[in-house]
Amino acid sequence: MSLAVAVTGAGTVVQDADDSRSRHASGALVIGPDGSVPLGHLPEGVRARAVRAERVTQLLLAAGDRAINGAGIAAPETRVGIVVGTAFGCFLTNAAYQRRLAAEGPAGASPRLFAATVSNAAAGELAIAYRLAGPSVTVSAGAASGLAALGEAVEVLRAGRADVVVAGGVDALGGALADWLTAAGLSFGAPPVEAAAALVLERPGRVRAELGRIAGHAIGFEPDPAGPAAGGGLAGAIAAACADAALSPPEIAVVVSATPPALVALETRALVATVGACQPRRTKPALAATGPLGLLAALGEAKPGVPVLVLDVCPSGHVAALVAWTREAA
Amino acid sequence: MITGCGVVSPLGTGLRPFWQGLVAGRSAVQPIAGFRADDLEPRAAAEVRDVPRTDLDRAGAFALEAATQALADAGLDPPSVDPGRLAVALGTTLGGMRLFERWLDGDAVDEIERVPYYAPAVRVARALGCGGPVATLQLACASGTQAIALAADWVRTGRTDVVLAGGADLLCRFVVAGFNCLRATAEEARPFDAARRGLVLGEGGAVVVVEDAAHAARRGARLRGSVLGVGAAADATHMTAPDREGRGAARAIEAALADAGLTPARIGFVSAHGTGTPYNDAMEAVAITRVFGPRNVPVNSIKGAIGHTLGAAGAFEAVLCLQVLAEGLVPPTAGLATPDPACAGLDLVYGEPRSHAADAAVSTSSGFAGVNAALVLGRAG
Repeated sequence: MSLAVAVTGAGTVVQDADDSRSRHASGALVIGPDGSVPLGHLPEGVRARAVRAERVTQLLLAAGDRAINGAGIAAPETRVGIVVGTAFGCFLTNAAYQRRLAAEGPAGASPRLFAATVSNAAAGELAIAYRLAGPSVTVSAGAASGLAALGEAVEVLRAGRADVVVAGGVDALGGALADWLTAAGLSFGAPPVEAAAALVLERPGRVRAELGRIAGHAIGFEPDPAGPAAGGGLAGAIAAACADAALSPPEIAVVVSATPPALVALETRALVATVGACQPRRTKPALAATGPLGLLAALGEAKPGVPVLVLDVCPSGHVAALVAWTREAA
Repeated sequence: MITGCGVVSPLGTGLRPFWQGLVAGRSAVQPIAGFRADDLEPRAAAEVRDVPRTDLDRAGAFALEAATQALADAGLDPPSVDPGRLAVALGTTLGGMRLFERWLDGDAVDEIERVPYYAPAVRVARALGCGGPVATLQLACASGTQAIALAADWVRTGRTDVVLAGGADLLCRFVVAGFNCLRATAEEARPFDAARRGLVLGEGGAVVVVEDAAHAARRGARLRGSVLGVGAAADATHMTAPDREGRGAARAIEAALADAGLTPARIGFVSAHGTGTPYNDAMEAVAITRVFGPRNVPVNSIKGAIGHTLGAAGAFEAVLCLQVLAEGLVPPTAGLATPDPACAGLDLVYGEPRSHAADAAVSTSSGFAGVNAALVLGRAG
């Protein structure tokens, strides 16, 4: 059986205070009515960096600080890693930079903006702000990026490459990205909400308190997600995640997903082939934050000591499955 | 195991022209011809000249061509592989940026879904019918290296049998103007040279087939080498400048060596990141000397030949390492004539190729936001 990894801290930023996914142990930070990212809780030096940073970095710093403080990381800085999942990363920064370049020519190219046109800028700022000098990985797998990041973080811990990993998903939304989603026909059913979710993951046995444990994970791909036979990639990911957790799929107690309506048939075929017929608990789409937020909601709401399955299904074809155990009853 | 390689480079398409160009010390850096560059300064780059420009998704086109080559080199036909056990791990820093530029300018753009960073991996996965893990690594200029590292992890942990792993990136106004405005560029790439002034950008794609050893053995595959170890570490100091002491880069190399179970003395070649910027090369000299000791291992950089290909760079350099190990020959560092005294700790290969038998090599990459990643690659057989 592969090692299960403890979730020891969580920080989230959501758009809606009533979002049920805010009901995890650490509470949630809420984006202001004016769209401002909550930064007031950050230490002064970090806040000063955050104020100058791009939006996706602000979201990750806000969530990451809450997660790190909640867990109380005690490992040396070189033993703390970061794994961030993001579907679109610096898309908004790219648009801001490119618009100035197009309008003003090379003289309009902004060094500050260009430096943030890498999707790992948010992870880099988090590393600098909290002196986290272990492995730093940013991964994109469409709207399955958040679960992909949590899975990769589990592997970093299993391989002994870090003692603690801050991991999760984040995407910033705005005009250019909303326009592109429409133009590209990438439909999530409901418009995605902006959110960030950062979790602190550690090897069990050295932790003070747990929100739950991640026991298995897998990502996969649907080459033709809208096709009549689609579902094999997700079924494979579910089976692999359950095997990783040393569980038989029918043992899963709760399924959580934000699968777009157009892809529910795909999801149903995959679930019937693995877990069996069931009705997933539906959450709101939040791009890369979807899966991590769904996991936190399940850990907070499901009965103690049960296995939950969190799914991400993206119209791009990316899929992910993650199996976690809720905390045992006290 | 690595059982296949595919290359789309400014030196040519295919492993042979890439390798022959490197051994000859040839540089593909020329004035930019593929897009408007008259107002860019500098305006030199290493462009891929033999892939049609009509396909605006150049990174995707490079990745697909390199992946197709790699599969053929491995003797693999996609239908012969269980789709659920066929995976893609790609690095890129720009993805569909040419499409993005056009779309943001208000032009009608075909295949607009290929704008995101994850799009090249999706294009490869759809074209080849992959149903296993598909991921895009976003570690700036270390993306290609980390993609191969992730592929090796997937195979080692039994998640998949065959991974198409590597990187692809493209040249466009967005990126050339960006590096120019950071004052990081020069007209000529001269890695580790006393007169180096900055990097020159390049483009292309490189993909290797990372395959489970038992899967490869069952089909009698020819081996091109192996991934023996992987490592990564963050500087956590600055968003664009490397740590002057090279601590993150050194820790990434040390982690890869530990993962491989090898001491530094077992490494016979180091492919440096070697961008040609004053800070990067000085940092790497410190890091490599710290790990390997002074002048104990031959070092080169291929960025004088093919430019800095960003998210593809680490993949090109992994292919280079496999060739060095297979051929017993280290290509010279194009553009290097007078080594910087600050890099005196490095046994730099320049001027002529050097015959040098080795069993294992290290490829190291670093990037924006303080990321560092390293691979230890082994010779086949």
